[in-house]
Parts: sequence; structure tokens; C-alpha cells
Amino acid sequence: MSAVIERLRDALGDSVKTEPEDLASYAFDAYSEERLPTAAVIPRDAREAAIAVRIAHECGEPIVPRGAGTGLCGGAVPTQGGIVISFARLNRILELDLRNRRARVGPGLINLDLSRAVTGSGLFYAPDPSSQKISTIGGNVATNAGGPHCLSYGTTTNHVLGLEYIDREGRVVRVSQDDAGYDLTGAFVGSEGTLGIITSVDVRLMRLPEAVRVCVAAFGDVESASEAVSAIIGAGIVPIALEIMDKLITTAVEAHFHAGYPKDAGAVLLVEIAGVIDDMDAGEAAIARIARDFGALSWRCASSAAERDALWAARKGAAGAIGRIAPNYYIQDCCVPRTKLPQVIHAIDDIARRYKLPVGNVFHAGDGNLHPLLIFDRRDARQVQAVVEAGTEILSTCIDLGGTISGEHGIGYEKRESLSRVFNSDDLAAMQRLREVFDPARLFNPDKIFPSGASCGEVRAPLPLAG
Amino acid sequence: MISTREPHDDRAFARALHECAEAGTPAYILGGGTLQGIGDAPLPESVAISTRALSEIIAYDPRDLTIGVAGGCNLARLSTTLANEGQFVPLDAPQPSRATVGGTLAAGWLGPRRASYGRSRDLVIGTTAALVDGTLARAGGMVVKNVTGYDLSKVYIGSLGTLGAIVRANFKTLPLPAAFRVAIAPLPENSRERAIEHLATLEVEPTCELVVRGFRDALPFAQGVDGTLFVVFEGSAALVERATRALRSALGAAGVAETKIVDVGARDAFARMLDAYIAPIEGRSITLRSLGLPSASVELDAAIRKALESHAVLVDSIIDGRCGDVISRLFVDGAIESAELRATLAAAVSAARSASPGATVLARAVPNDGIASWGTRPIALEAMHELKRRFDPSSILARGRFVGGI
Repeated sequence: MSAVIERLRDALGDSVKTEPEDLASYAFDAYSEERLPTAAVIPRDAREAAIAVRIAHECGEPIVPRGAGTGLCGGAVPTQGGIVISFARLNRILELDLRNRRARVGPGLINLDLSRAVTGSGLFYAPDPSSQKISTIGGNVATNAGGPHCLSYGTTTNHVLGLEYIDREGRVVRVSQDDAGYDLTGAFVGSEGTLGIITSVDVRLMRLPEAVRVCVAAFGDVESASEAVSAIIGAGIVPIALEIMDKLITTAVEAHFHAGYPKDAGAVLLVEIAGVIDDMDAGEAAIARIARDFGALSWRCASSAAERDALWAARKGAAGAIGRIAPNYYIQDCCVPRTKLPQVIHAIDDIARRYKLPVGNVFHAGDGNLHPLLIFDRRDARQVQAVVEAGTEILSTCIDLGGTISGEHGIGYEKRESLSRVFNSDDLAAMQRLREVFDPARLFNPDKIFPSGASCGEVRAPLPLAG
Repeated sequence: MISTREPHDDRAFARALHECAEAGTPAYILGGGTLQGIGDAPLPESVAISTRALSEIIAYDPRDLTIGVAGGCNLARLSTTLANEGQFVPLDAPQPSRATVGGTLAAGWLGPRRASYGRSRDLVIGTTAALVDGTLARAGGMVVKNVTGYDLSKVYIGSLGTLGAIVRANFKTLPLPAAFRVAIAPLPENSRERAIEHLATLEVEPTCELVVRGFRDALPFAQGVDGTLFVVFEGSAALVERATRALRSALGAAGVAETKIVDVGARDAFARMLDAYIAPIEGRSITLRSLGLPSASVELDAAIRKALESHAVLVDSIIDGRCGDVISRLFVDGAIESAELRATLAAAVSAARSASPGATVLARAVPNDGIASWGTRPIALEAMHELKRRFDPSSILARGRFVGGI
């Protein structure tokens, strides 16, 4: 038995798992890479997490935090082995302050459980990644997760007021946006577990809007739907969500959910507006007018809360629905300025055609955040290679259009070699300075975000996700 | 001796910082100079490196709802450029024709509409910083969702120029609301708590909700015994009308009879209020900002006033009902002169801090008054010192101005 396992067991007893059959569930996330950790620790509280971090650090073992393992980029994979710390037990709401609209939660709390817990108070937790039924707040913080409604409400970073982390020496440190000094809260959000281990999060709750309206427009193709989105935003109208699904996605979604999306349309645009009752009709009319100007074939609004929920459930379940009809698929996550949407959609279509890969588009159009979904069969080596190359080309196209290589999923293990396509060595050197403060030994989630020194500059072929 | 340099572009700016670092010359970054009261004073022999020449709008396609501007661009220019396209960025800093984008961000300015629109850090989507090693470092970009490397913009914002200079900032912009209305209501004796209680029940929330006492530079007319309520409603004309009706009825129920509506000149009234946050009184004042929870802001203001009872100071205050801030302007009315004035203000600040250990100095009438800016030491101070060492190893930038002697 290795020294680190012995020390962990002595200190933490049955919070430590070391049997291969136990460790198998900590070897992977929703990316294809996997590796067994040396041990997994499932702390009962921050104190146990701190002990695990201190021991791992003293033994020179990598420390990999893990929420629900829903990340698509390998961010939770222990690529160098080491100690996985799972937050499955730190899943409670620790404090709820409705008057001041804030909550303190354990990082293992499931995103949707927070909004559910405050149902009836008129408040909600705004960030709503499609994975919100299973993904955790801690994981959302690590990747600065988005979701359809961040168009108006902002991403996770805009809703995290403070947090508590374990530093490399196992000390528990609390930071808040209201503290004097540097905004370390902001630095931790989106840092993908590379700065420290987060053990609680202070989040902002928002007031539920008085009225919401969800409408669906049908378009002949994705290009015209994208042009409509660019025009809506360009007209200074910011609904709370503007989502596009193409025909491939809508067909899959309808086959499973029967939510009422038009099946024969080349693309559907899902629009949600929110605010006061007095503004709903005028708000809807302004958007519907632009949609029609850009070729909308139909426009329909959900007439009940049940219908609204069904449309959203289907939208958020799109990836799963594709999984039922495709042998395998690979989701890309990239972002462009909103005026570039029609151009990038055209380019993605072109890339997919050249590589002879079916592509589905389901994306947060209002934010310019794309999720092209490439369908392939992993048993066919040629198709796997084509997916790898097409994915890289899509990222290049986004960068060339002034965009970036991740809108809401993070860089993780998958895209780290592409980071140097977005940022030059001076930009990356500044980021390394921040990392040096917290993790000079490179033990917090190694191999994530930053290009590996050895192959700096060359692009490592990502391994596509299995559907 | 203070000398000022004005690099002509961002590369030259980074070179100027590098030259100071090489020579070991203390330096500080100068924007419009409006928020120099925040932080402890720079060393007298520091070189000021001004962003004055970096004033352009770098990238603006209104249809993207994003804008990229140079760090020295002033807020008035930013606002005018955006307003011409029906947009805005709610930074809400005082003296916009002097205040620069870079300075406002570096100072971590917190405006009173942030409960509705987010803090300045939440509006920024990317930055370029000039660093003392002579490099320019970008973070974020021109897209509204971005998880690509560390969000260093957050670290620069509020760093008071101790890590580098923000030579470019990219913002997400918002569509300007059709209507912007200010409502002002003098609060009669013992009406404040009830008024605030009733305001909390409003279906349409104000974007800014202040209870002001004193600050006659912002509210130059008769004020209520219990202070004066200053609220802003924004949105469609229908929304603002409905909000006003609800406000009148809520205030009426709280015994507040008179509500003055300002439509024409409402934005000017709001701008005057923002200016008051840092306006000094005749060389005899110091302004503190305490951050707290909205539910405790009235008690916090009362505690600060109580702590000051035995001191020879008068207090103007702003209680921010939505954000929880209390702004306290302490001033000494009378004939005492320099040394004694300074000692009185220092004692008053110290007393006010006993009620609000996290209070920060926002503005001072006398520069270099020697009164410490920062309240409670943050728990993560050690990591902050290390961050400073990594970005500015010889500590030439704004030495001693930031919290904990950074």
C-alpha cells in the first residue's frame, strides 16, 4: 500500500476509497479519456477535504476535484492519477438568506436543487446549464457554466458572491467580492479546479420575473434563423433566451419528447421573454416582426406553463435525444460575436460537408454560443479522424471570426493545446502568474486548461466523445 | 518630485512601466484622477504614468452589443458613443467627463444600480493589461460567454493599479430603456423604516433606491427630517408608470405624503447624486463606504452615527437599500486647522470603523491626509501579497496604496 493511501486512510477512514471497482467511477467524465486515480476521497465536510488536500500535497500527488462528472472536456479526469476529491457529500444548502437574496451552498449541491429549494419564495438561481438536473454548483463554478438564460442573466461568475477554498497547505480560506483586496472570487470561477479546492459557494438569488412568455418560430434553414437572431440583438432587444435547433435536432427531440416543435422546419427559434405583464405583448410583437422579416414561416407562443416547460425540457434534453438515434456524437462549444452567427453557421455546414459528417446545430444563438454536434461511428477509424479534424477546423473558424474556443464548458483536457491559438505567450504567461500563487507544484488538476510544455504550439488531436 | 509620463499607445505604456521597473522607480497609473481618494497615498517621488493618450473607442459594432475602448477613454465619451446607438454600460461612476474607463475599473467602483445590472466586473468581457515586464496581456475577449483560460480581468478590476494598467477594456452593452424616471420623497419624522419596509414589497423594483441625509450638493432642496428617498425606475413607459403608481401608494401607506417625479433632467439628477459620492466639503471632509447586506443597511448607518456621537463631526449619509452600502461623509464644521482637523477626521474614521470594520475611504478633501483607507484585513491577504509579487516583483506600482501595504 502506498504511503499516500496509508496516510489518507489513517486520517479519514472510510471517506477514502481505494478498491479498483470503487475507483472506476472516478476515472472519467463525459469526455473519452480515462484513468484510474490512486484513491478517491469523499469528504464529509471541509475539514476532511482540507486534510485530504494537505496529505496529497505533502506526498506530491495530483488532486482532482469532481462534481457530477458531466463535463465534456475531461476536466474531471485524473489524467496523471492521484487523488480525486468527490463533493457528493457536500451537497447541502448551508445558509439561506431570502431577504438579502443569497445562499451558501456545498459544492456538491445539484444546480436545480437550489432553485427547487427556494420555490415559493419568488426567488431562483439563474444559471441553468442544460445539465442542471445532474451537474453540481461546484462544477458549474469551476467551468463558469452558462445555460440558455445567461443571455440576460449572465453566466455563473455573475452569480457567485464569494467562496471558501482549501489552499495547497490544507488551509480553509474564505473570500468574498465584498472583501478589500483582489477579487479572488472572480479568479476562482472558471479556473477548472487548478487553483484550489472549493468547499462552499455563496450565490446570488434573483427575483422571478412577474411574467414569462415562450415562443417558437419556424424557419426554412439555420442561416435565416441566425440572421433573425443577429437582427433581434442588433435592434437592441435582449430576451432572456434565444435558442436555435436545426431540423436534425428538432426531429430527434420531437421523436422523444413530443414537445410540439414544428418537425418540418429547417430550423426552429425558441424565444423566451420575461418582465412585467405590461411589457409582454409589445415585447413579443417586436421580436415576431423581426422574425417574420427574416423569413419566419410560423410563430407560436406556449399557452400554458406546462407547454413552456415541455418546450424547455425538450431543448435541454437535445443532446440526450441525439444519443438515442446516433451511434456516437461529438459536441463542440465555441463562441463568436453575434453578428458573425450566419457566417459561422455557413462555415460549420461547409466543414461538415467536406468531412462527410452529419452535423446537428443546437445552440445559445443570442449569445453567439455554438454547439455543433458531429455524428459519427467510433468503430470507423476514418470517421473518428474526420471528427477530430472537423472539430479543430470549427474552432479555428470561430477564432478567425473574433470568437473563442469555449463559451461555457471550459478548456479542460480536450482543448488545452488550442488555448495557444487564442492567447499568445504573453497572455498565457500572465495567467501562469496567477497559477503560481496558488499551485506552484502543479498538483491541482494538472494537465487542464494550459498547453503542455512539451508539445507547446502543436495541436494534440482530441479524442471525440462517445455518444 | 512628481513627474508625469503620457505614453502614446499601449505598447509604449508597457515599455514605460518596464523602464520604471528596471530603474526601480516607483510609479502609479493615472487616469482622470477622480478616485485618487481611494487607497493610501502614493509615494511623493512616484512617477505618474497617464492613460490620457489612450482615449479611443477601439471596436464598436452596435449590433454585437459589445464595445472595446482604450483605458484612458472617459466615461462621458463612452456613454455618448453608446447613447448614439441606444445603448449604455451602467458603470455609474462620479464625474464621467474626467473619470476614465481604466481608472473606474482599477478602483473597483461600485455603482448604486449594480443590484439590477451587475458590478463593473460583471459588465467587462475582456481586458488588455500593460505589465511591468513590458508585455501586454489579454484576458477574455469580445464575446459575451467565454471560459478560455483564467478570467484575469476580474483580478485587475479593483486592484487599484497595483498589478498593471488596464489599457483596454471590452464591455457587454445594454439597450437603453425607453424611460428613466427619478422619484424623490422627503421622509417625515419616524417614517423611514416603514417606507423601506413598504418599498420591499414593490412588484416593480427600482434600479436604484437610496435614502439620503444631507448631501445637499446632490439634493439642494428641502429634505425630510428622516432623510429623503431617491429612487430610479427604468424600463418601458408602461412599466415606469405602473412603478410610480405603486411607489406613491406604498409611500402613502407609510405616511409619506409628497413624492416629486423627475422625468426631464432625471439623468442629470442621477449624475449629481453619483458626483456626491466623492465630492469633498471645503477641504474638511472624508467619505467612507461600508458594504453590507441590504437588510442591515439602516442599522449600519445608525451604528456609524452612534459611534461618531462623541466626535466633533457632522455626517451626510446615503443608505443604499438595494445594494446594502452605506456612504458616510464625515466633515468638520468650524475653525480648527490642518493638524487638528486631520486628527479629528482620523479619530472619526476610526470610530466609524468600529461599527463597520470593512469600511473603505472613497474620497478625501485633503490629499495625503495620512488616514488609512482600508478596514479589515482580508483572510486571503497572504495570497494577495503573493499575487502582487508575481505581477510586480520589485513593487514599483502604486506601492503602499492597497490593502495590507500591497
